[in-house]
Amino acid sequence: MCSRDCALRTLLHSAHGDVVLSLYQPATLPLLGFAVSSLLGLAEHEKAKQIKISALKCLQVLVLQCDCQEHRCLDADEAQRCGDLFASFLPGISITLSRVITGDLKQGHKPTVSAIRLFYLIVGLVMADAQLARVPKNKEKLPVEQSRISELMVHRGPDWSKSTAEKLLLLLRKIVESSSVHPHWKVRLELVELVQHLLQNCSRSLVDSFSHLLKALVGLVNDENPEVQRRCQEVLQGMAEQGMVAQNRALADVLSENLHSLATALPRLINTQDDTGKVSTLSLLLGYLKLLGPKINFVLNSTSHLQRLSKALMQVLELDVTDVKIVEERGGGSASPCGPAGSLARRWQRKYFRFFTEEKVFQLLQQVCRVLGYYGNLYLLVDHFTALYSESGMYRKQAAMVLNELLAGAAGMGVDVLREREVSPNVDDLKGSVTSVLDEYTDQANWYLVTSIDAEEISHEHSVQHSKLSARPRGACSSVLLPSPEPPATTRTMNSNIWQICIQLEGIGCFAAVLGREFRLLLLSTLYPVLEKAGDKTLLISETALGTLADICEACGYDSVQSLINENSDYLVNGISLNLRQLVHQPHASQVLDTMLRHSDASLLPLVEDVIQDVLAALDQSYNHQAPTFLRVLHSVMTALVRWFGSSCGEELQAAEGQSRTLSLGPQVVTGQELQQFFLDYVRQKQIAEGDLPDTDEEADEVQPCAKLDPNGPDTEGEAPLPSHAQLAKDTMERCIHLLSDGNLRVRLQALDVLELCVTVLHPHGNHLLPLAHRAWPALVTRLISDDPLAVLRAFKVLCTLAQRCGDFLRQRFSRDVLPALTSSLRSQAPASARAGPIYSHTLAFKLQLAVLQGLGALCQRLDMGESDLNKVADACLIYLSAKQPMKLQEAAQSVFLHLMHMDPDSTWLLLSEICCPDRYRPPHASLQPVQLPGMGRQRDEFTDNILGLLEQLQQWESVEPWAGAHQDPPP
Amino acid sequence: MRLRGGVATATAERPRASARRVRGGRHSPRGARARETVIPCHGRQRAAYGGCRAGDRRCSGYAEFVPARAASRGGKTPPVGRMLEGEVASVSGVIARMALPPPDPQFVLRGTSAAVHTLHFSCGGQEPDVPILFSGSENGFIHVWNLKTHRVDAALDGHGRKSVYCVQTMGGKEALLSQGRDQRICMWDLAEGRTSVTDSVFTENVGFCRCSLLKVAQGRWLMAMAAKATDEVQVLELPSKTSVCTLKPEVGAKLGMPMCLKLWQLSCGSQPLLLAGYEDGSVVLWNLSTGKALSQLVCHQEPVMSLDFDSEKAKGISGSSEKVLSIWSLNEQQNLQVYKTHKLVNAGISDITIRPDKKILATAGWDHRMRIFGWKKLKPLAVLDYHTATVHCVSFSDHKNPSERLLAAGSKDQRISIWSIYTQT
Repeated sequence: MCSRDCALRTLLHSAHGDVVLSLYQPATLPLLGFAVSSLLGLAEHEKAKQIKISALKCLQVLVLQCDCQEHRCLDADEAQRCGDLFASFLPGISITLSRVITGDLKQGHKPTVSAIRLFYLIVGLVMADAQLARVPKNKEKLPVEQSRISELMVHRGPDWSKSTAEKLLLLLRKIVESSSVHPHWKVRLELVELVQHLLQNCSRSLVDSFSHLLKALVGLVNDENPEVQRRCQEVLQGMAEQGMVAQNRALADVLSENLHSLATALPRLINTQDDTGKVSTLSLLLGYLKLLGPKINFVLNSTSHLQRLSKALMQVLELDVTDVKIVEERGGGSASPCGPAGSLARRWQRKYFRFFTEEKVFQLLQQVCRVLGYYGNLYLLVDHFTALYSESGMYRKQAAMVLNELLAGAAGMGVDVLREREVSPNVDDLKGSVTSVLDEYTDQANWYLVTSIDAEEISHEHSVQHSKLSARPRGACSSVLLPSPEPPATTRTMNSNIWQICIQLEGIGCFAAVLGREFRLLLLSTLYPVLEKAGDKTLLISETALGTLADICEACGYDSVQSLINENSDYLVNGISLNLRQLVHQPHASQVLDTMLRHSDASLLPLVEDVIQDVLAALDQSYNHQAPTFLRVLHSVMTALVRWFGSSCGEELQAAEGQSRTLSLGPQVVTGQELQQFFLDYVRQKQIAEGDLPDTDEEADEVQPCAKLDPNGPDTEGEAPLPSHAQLAKDTMERCIHLLSDGNLRVRLQALDVLELCVTVLHPHGNHLLPLAHRAWPALVTRLISDDPLAVLRAFKVLCTLAQRCGDFLRQRFSRDVLPALTSSLRSQAPASARAGPIYSHTLAFKLQLAVLQGLGALCQRLDMGESDLNKVADACLIYLSAKQPMKLQEAAQSVFLHLMHMDPDSTWLLLSEICCPDRYRPPHASLQPVQLPGMGRQRDEFTDNILGLLEQLQQWESVEPWAGAHQDPPP
Repeated sequence: MRLRGGVATATAERPRASARRVRGGRHSPRGARARETVIPCHGRQRAAYGGCRAGDRRCSGYAEFVPARAASRGGKTPPVGRMLEGEVASVSGVIARMALPPPDPQFVLRGTSAAVHTLHFSCGGQEPDVPILFSGSENGFIHVWNLKTHRVDAALDGHGRKSVYCVQTMGGKEALLSQGRDQRICMWDLAEGRTSVTDSVFTENVGFCRCSLLKVAQGRWLMAMAAKATDEVQVLELPSKTSVCTLKPEVGAKLGMPMCLKLWQLSCGSQPLLLAGYEDGSVVLWNLSTGKALSQLVCHQEPVMSLDFDSEKAKGISGSSEKVLSIWSLNEQQNLQVYKTHKLVNAGISDITIRPDKKILATAGWDHRMRIFGWKKLKPLAVLDYHTATVHCVSFSDHKNPSERLLAAGSKDQRISIWSIYTQT
């Protein structure tokens, strides 16, 4: 049988033009019919694959649709005639072929492919728009002798074509359904060809079937096989380029109908399908939109379409806001300053959606929105989604997301389309839309949301709400967001609020990219709110805001965030200064200043000096109520000043310190002469101590330091004006002095912190620091000796910092006012800590002891304390050398003694040796008395270990300084 | 500079130095303060008192003001921007008493780096034109502020770093007229980004009297200015600079120096008239064609610092260094009559402007505040409190769109505050 097929094929193949055409006359219809039906029978029922294929091929040749190129083309008339002829076979052929196509998968892909090809060729021939248009109204009469044959002939009139199209619709649906999911890619590829061929040739006659055909085509864009994908893309591209949709009203209607039903079903589909299903559904949606192209506006102009589509997007884009981590992650105010802008340029935060996890799904949705924005009427869309945004809190986040993407799409950013739009919107239109959306975003009701349950902040937020509600009749909108005046700030709502702010921030970054340099004009109103959020305590928000800043830098052509801030500092300063006036309602002004300071350098100072003066003035107006807020601002200002100018003070200080160290540690070669001098001095000192010398000397000694201090006091004050940063520190310090004795512990602690920073900044300007220190001293002493342990701790830190510079100034006061209290507290605490268990190291008392012990040594050295004071210190610290004390306290006490050894090695040695002395000292000469120390020959006790360690240390130094070694025999 | 009364200095500062600086750390010694009076802003007032009596009145006004402010610093919540005591009852929308935060300026322009003495809007242009604000400051610069970007577009330097105390536009924003302490009035050409002085008039006057400009025909202007002789006013025609007349008070009138001038005409083409406020507190109406005084009215006990006149209602208002605003009217016989006086809490008005729509007026006070009154009944509407030093000038914008019209105030604290009081009412 196979051979017979082949023979027929070869015969027809080789028959040339006119000869072949003579075969296709109405008269031969019965013959042809027989051939066709027998071939169809073979194709359907034959088991052998080869024969099946062969039969189909033969049939293809028979209907003059051979694949090879040798045949000449039929002219229109001939084609028309053939079409008439084959119309009689169409029902039989199409039904049989559809059975073959949807048949058992086991038959392999080749017969299916051939059947599909044959199907579209024959349908395309018979139902071709070009031919149907030429069919005369009435059936032409054939000669009588052929009347029987003419009964077999079909007249392709409108009625016929309509009914045939209906029947074909059913067949096509079956074919598309089965072959679009066919496992073999060649079948799917052939399906693409089918769609292409039919759309090309039968766009009028088969219009009802297009819904299925287009669905298949658009769906196959994301086929797993690249070949199919590519071809599909080509076909779509071709369609778009020819303007098939734009010119063919019917096609556009079909598409918009499909879109409508898909949009209706979308939420349900996304809810139920798995990830791949979602991807294919969404790519279908995207494909429809792309195909519609500029025709989208017809769809959007219909309210019901727009409603469906937007609601579908709203539901699909719903975020998952249950993650607790978001609220918990807090950056805190002390985040390190960010590096150059480069490190900031990261991408947007990853969002978690309720209905999907796949990133691809989100990208598709993004594309959907962008394509909408690209082709659609921007004003219409922006209005619609802005209305959704303000309509309900439920849709707010999604609507914001959509708005961001719409505008990005409108600017042509990252849109992948089939066809360029005719007119791109001009900058003014874009700017208008962006401005209105920005206004909506940064509106108080949408910008200041509860994002934490920090008691302090909440109270502020409430006051914001109240003021807002009473200030404007826009309550309707805000009440949706935060339904009751006391909103239940659950983790969920806070998360949701955090996300909303982030999306809005991302939007601002996106708008900047949309407008490019034009965005500079909008910085006036935008930069301030963004910086406000950059200083937010919630990590997610502050990071997103930093990302937005980076985006703005890039879009507006600034090199770095720093230059962005510096060049627009006038806008920011204005915002800060105005908001400072209403601090109760606008507690965020301090955050903005903080962010500015953190992300800029010293060059910013002249620009913000003005506003810092405003802060100080505002503080003067409201010491009672707003002190904590102001102190936070001042703290950030001072931290910035220390960062910018601190290094210079620090270097100076270190240099000075280094000098003193070399002085004290430098190797001293001691000669006999010096030894003699030492004893002479010693004798003289002793005489002085016993009061042998005239009083005048003593006075001279005392007067001298005063005389030294005085001349550089008033003199220098008159000459060089303070650099501005020091002036600021000075002004701030004056305020802090007042606040040191505030009733609120928190304020006192803050004030102490700020004070310490001020002192650091003022280090190089001793003439100004000393008078201030003098004024601060009484309050500081009160903090040190009778306040909450927390305050004592901080105050002690301030004291240590102060001592670095004003040693002489503090010596007297310290030993008179503070030292007794410190040593007595150390002594009284010692038994408690010696007894305490391991938990003790977490108590405040322990921390206080530790801090005092750690600082005391250095403090004594800095202040250059007198002998009696040193003795007091040593006495108080000695108990802490006991092995019963916690290890850390022992170490700290050791450090005190190490400092004491630096200052007065001899007496320290003596003191330690009185407790415990490991060596026996033999006099170098028999005429001298043997040395007896109380510590000699004692039993090993709690102090032994530490003291031996210290003595060893001392001895090591002495080997460098042989001076002290003169007392002592070399060890045996 | 001829500062006739270095006079009042010592006594003048008496109450202020002690009371003002209650808390601050910057206690400037009295010497420094006295020296400061040489600078024009104080100098202006001081020179005004110079020859005449009661030179320290201004400061007594200050002293009365101070306790209130000092007390508010002391502890109780300061009702910033509060109403004048006793005037509260009639607040409408601008400030609801305590519930709303006090009104804030819409924007504050910084960067003149000197006290601001005069402001002038030029917002009349069509859409692509950017609204402009000109400011003249003590360091002799005229800043051209772009009200879209809120930044300085250009800084004009034409008065040898001497204080600029009057800026006016002649027609559009391209032609500018400025008056400075270098005794010159300069005409500027600013078209196409040029910044050149095209012409100038040497006034030879040492006072602080702002000149007044009136458009009489297309391209023809009249300008009244204080002349060389202490009590004379000269009227020139611009741009030809020909003298129209010189207005000289009768012998023995003892009006003192002219302090403020206002040229006006009833309708276009009618006879231009001049209102002048003098050092002795009187306001005089001059006929320019005859050069004779038509009417004289003593409104104040102190020099008239500023006046404005509404030609439709034939009513004017003047302020001086005292605590009184004086409203006077002009009857058909061209006679000035006192219509009403309004008592203020704090003394000293440095500028008065009636809004172009004649509905409200704004005053600039030495007490750092601007006050808004209804013009019809002088109903107090609002106290705008932002500045931290004397407010020197107030100006309303001439924007075509009422909702975008603005009020600007320039102060000694080197800032210009911009308020939107149209939209808030």
